Amino acid sequence: MLEVRDISHFYGKEKILDNISFKLPRGSFTILTGESGSGKTTLLSIVSTLLLQSEGTIIFHNTPKCSIDTMRNRHIGFIFQFHYLIEHLTVMENIKMVTKKSKREILKLLATLDIDTLAHRYPSQISGGQRQRVAIARAIVNEPKYLFADEPTGNLDSKNSKIIFDILRSIKATTLVVTHDSSLILEDDRILTMRDGQLIKG
Amino acid sequence: MFKSLLYYRYKTALILLSAVTAITSIFMITSLSGGIVSMYSNMLKTDGDIILTQKGVADTFFSDVNRTLMDKIKPIKGVKEVSAVIVGAGAIGTLPIAGIYGVSTNRYPLYHLTYGNYPKKCSEVMIGEKINSILGEPKQIKIFNKPFNVTGVFKSKIGFENGGVVIPIESASAIFHKSSSFLLLSLDNLEQSTEVISSIKTISNQVDVKKTTDFIDNYNQFKIIKVSGAVIASISFFMGFLAIVSIMSIVINDRRYEFGIQRAMGISKVKIILSVMMEVVTLILIAFILAYIISYYLLEFLEHIDKFQGYLSGEIDLYLALIVLGGSIVMSIVGAFIPAFIASKVDPIILINQGE
Repeated sequence: MLEVRDISHFYGKEKILDNISFKLPRGSFTILTGESGSGKTTLLSIVSTLLLQSEGTIIFHNTPKCSIDTMRNRHIGFIFQFHYLIEHLTVMENIKMVTKKSKREILKLLATLDIDTLAHRYPSQISGGQRQRVAIARAIVNEPKYLFADEPTGNLDSKNSKIIFDILRSIKATTLVVTHDSSLILEDDRILTMRDGQLIKG
Repeated sequence: MFKSLLYYRYKTALILLSAVTAITSIFMITSLSGGIVSMYSNMLKTDGDIILTQKGVADTFFSDVNRTLMDKIKPIKGVKEVSAVIVGAGAIGTLPIAGIYGVSTNRYPLYHLTYGNYPKKCSEVMIGEKINSILGEPKQIKIFNKPFNVTGVFKSKIGFENGGVVIPIESASAIFHKSSSFLLLSLDNLEQSTEVISSIKTISNQVDVKKTTDFIDNYNQFKIIKVSGAVIASISFFMGFLAIVSIMSIVINDRRYEFGIQRAMGISKVKIILSVMMEVVTLILIAFILAYIISYYLLEFLEHIDKFQGYLSGEIDLYLALIVLGGSIVMSIVGAFIPAFIASKVDPIILINQGE
């Protein structure tokens, strides 16, 4: 389980997040939604340890003593809106960079995402949907317990967006996904809604 | 790991160029200044275990030692040979300046003749192969407007001697108005040097007597050349590495995006810094090898330019090379470590946003 307690965050004197608390049950799939500028990405960055909060605590179940780097590498996977692949590395190298797994194991993972044939291409040589799948592969290659995704379909058409969400739902991890596209939300999904830096539904 | 260096190839090339220039300059300056010192030292050390110079005169060029002392020194127990040398310089033929070495006949065999014979008369001279080539294999040359017949051409391991002329000491004595610049003694056994020096001191109080190695170590001209060479080399080395540090900082700033992604994906700060260090060390090693090769061939090239008459000669000292290598690696690591360490402390998402 992941528990967020009383998180607040400031950029200078401006309060971006205001006293946010919630829990994500183990293995749950949760959507974090809200208007643009409501603080979704900042909250996700803090929860995923990419940004240090100004106030409050985040508790990862059973891993209180791990350093943030270890947490991130072994237990947390992150998918950015713009995939953020390193342009001068091939698909295989982008994934190999973050894992000790063999190339064979990586190829197996790429095959499950239907992108194994792209392993030796550079990000600039593949489509947006394919890049996002590579980003997913990079995020899940170490089989994280927690998976965070920030607008993972922000640049994709509806067909590709649905495929990406189907993939995310199939991953066995506690998952928190930021999206403003309500068409991608299913009835079974847990939903957190934000407005003006506050959690209004969760 | 090294793909980043290729990706930022123009900056990588700039770093490489700066490092090669800095290392080459330190090699060239120290080798050339060391080369001149080494050549003159070798000349003194050849058949010279002990050197006699005029008392109180620190420079061999200005020293004047009475040659008649040779007859008194030769019978001293342990002395194998005594020779006299005058070192000077002057206009020779069309050359405005060249080395003139007046030597006693017992030093002639130290010059390996490639052509002709050793001088037998005061009006005869043997000339180095370099000056022979520059002057177009002359049969006669003029030293201070006095004609000398060329009897032979020699080749010396001491580069600058090849660019000069060797004349009988009597002739040099007439030209430079001195008996000899210094006397050189070779001994049967080096361990006898202390006794021999004491004996010479009882013969004359007008000379300074030292073991040649001690004389070289304390010779002011050598110290000045070495120190000024070291200062100039250090400044150029430092300037070169300041450039490397600056470019390295720019490269690391350019790579904040990449570091941000790596950190977001859980790669530790230590691993990121270490990979940057590895890249830098690899670059410096490549630069060192390139600089060594360039310096080696540049020194070879300079040594064979007739115009310099063999004065520009030198070898890269292994000890110096190791110091330069160590210094280069330390400076570049420090230069890369500071910006990499600062970047590694920033939250990943901020690094990514800054680097985008």
